[in-house]
Amino acid sequence: MNRKRILVIDDEASITRGIKLNLEALGTFEIRQVNHAPDAVQSALEFKPDLVLLDIVMPEMDGGEVAARLREIPSLKDTPIIFLTAIVSHEETQGGEAYIGGEDYLAKPVDLGTLVQAINNRLIN
Amino acid sequence: MLATMAVSLGMVLVVAIVDYLTGLEISVALLYLVPVCWGAWFGGRNAGLFVAAASAAAWLIHVMLLCGFIDHPWVLAWNTLTLGVSFALVAVLMATLALTQKNLEATVTKRSAKLREEVIERRQAEEQLRQVNAELQQAHMQLIEAAKMEMVGRMAAGVAHEVKNPLMILGMGTDYFLQHPVTSEAEAMLLQDMKDAVRRATHIINLMLDFSKPRPLHLVPEDLNTLVENSLDLVRHQFLKQGIEVVRELQADLPALPLDRTRMEHVFVNLFTNAAQAMPAGGTLTVRSSLQEVSGGSSDPGCRVMLEVEDTGPGIRPEHLPKIFEAFYTTKPPGQGTGLGLAIVRRILHIHGANIVLGNRSEGGARATLTFNPTPKSLP
Repeated sequence: MNRKRILVIDDEASITRGIKLNLEALGTFEIRQVNHAPDAVQSALEFKPDLVLLDIVMPEMDGGEVAARLREIPSLKDTPIIFLTAIVSHEETQGGEAYIGGEDYLAKPVDLGTLVQAINNRLIN
Repeated sequence: MLATMAVSLGMVLVVAIVDYLTGLEISVALLYLVPVCWGAWFGGRNAGLFVAAASAAAWLIHVMLLCGFIDHPWVLAWNTLTLGVSFALVAVLMATLALTQKNLEATVTKRSAKLREEVIERRQAEEQLRQVNAELQQAHMQLIEAAKMEMVGRMAAGVAHEVKNPLMILGMGTDYFLQHPVTSEAEAMLLQDMKDAVRRATHIINLMLDFSKPRPLHLVPEDLNTLVENSLDLVRHQFLKQGIEVVRELQADLPALPLDRTRMEHVFVNLFTNAAQAMPAGGTLTVRSSLQEVSGGSSDPGCRVMLEVEDTGPGIRPEHLPKIFEAFYTTKPPGQGTGLGLAIVRRILHIHGANIVLGNRSEGGARATLTFNPTPKSLP
């Protein structure tokens, strides 16, 4: 079975580790973790993800900048990105009031069910 | 005037008869001064002079009747003239006194009326001053509260960001273990408890974030009664479960209010849920809407739409009332209330230009009174 590749970019290794462990346990995803934002583009080029999970607030380079760099690469410009953020509440994530370029975003802490649903929605669309 | 003249001339006649009856030996001529003074005082100078002349004439007639034609008519004429002039002088004096007194009375009355008007004006000014002072104090309190809330909000946003990442780690961990078989029932319960704890902490953090960074209002003309009905629908199951009866006293044809539907329903659901929590063994929830006129005294008179939410619970203890809207102040047992519910309710109402007052009903139970201005001057 062709597993979907998800690139998870967050400066907190314990978060990317938790996401990797959970999603890979489902058997339908292959996960690569990036905890150093400047390495994200290189990892994406190598990994060729079907979807990117991207934290917004990170040292050195924030999620918006990482997304912009990914969009500059022709092979990655159509890769869906789901932003993860700790600075908005669940209420703000509802009602289509996207803050960042019409992308999806999820408010931390997100539970596994919501995360899988959001990933599947983007992968189907 | 005519009555005064009639009385004065009557008195002159009586004095003249007395004078005649007492003869020449006993003089009562000074008694003519009584009608002269009376006439001058009540009838004025001309009336007084007329009575003076009548008195002198009466005196002359009584002398002539008693003595007939006397030997020295010039003496009689001289006496009559001096008497008449004396009476006339007294009449003029008395009339002048009466006029002065009347003028004085008029002046006093006029000044008293002016003084009364000044007292009324001063009282009105004092009342207006009191109201302005009360409004200023209220505005001052709101400013302090807003500054406090801003500080709490900033702190909450900072704390929320730092706490959400660890919560995500914990959540992912429990999600992972929940997907795998457990060795005992107790282990499953422990994992579920951990999951619930993460969910509860997340809920509180999200409330704090919403409180600190409210979304912009999406104001649309709304029918208050419709929003109340929608919100009642959302708590219907809880009310049924607890045996709570809902009494609706909703006035029809209320003016449309500029409201953010989602946030206003949040307010109503919060108030209804609080009422339900105050009546765990059932009771009655009354929702009453009305249109009322606010006039004189208020800095912003006009129509107001009022909404009252009443319950038949134990009411709010007086010592809790002053702090009930403060953020993180709760009267509920630990773990059952964040202390943000009513703070958010008041904040939402405030940004709508509306007001809320919480108190107790004399019959028992609590009452929340919400006041909406259909045409708010400006929104914060």
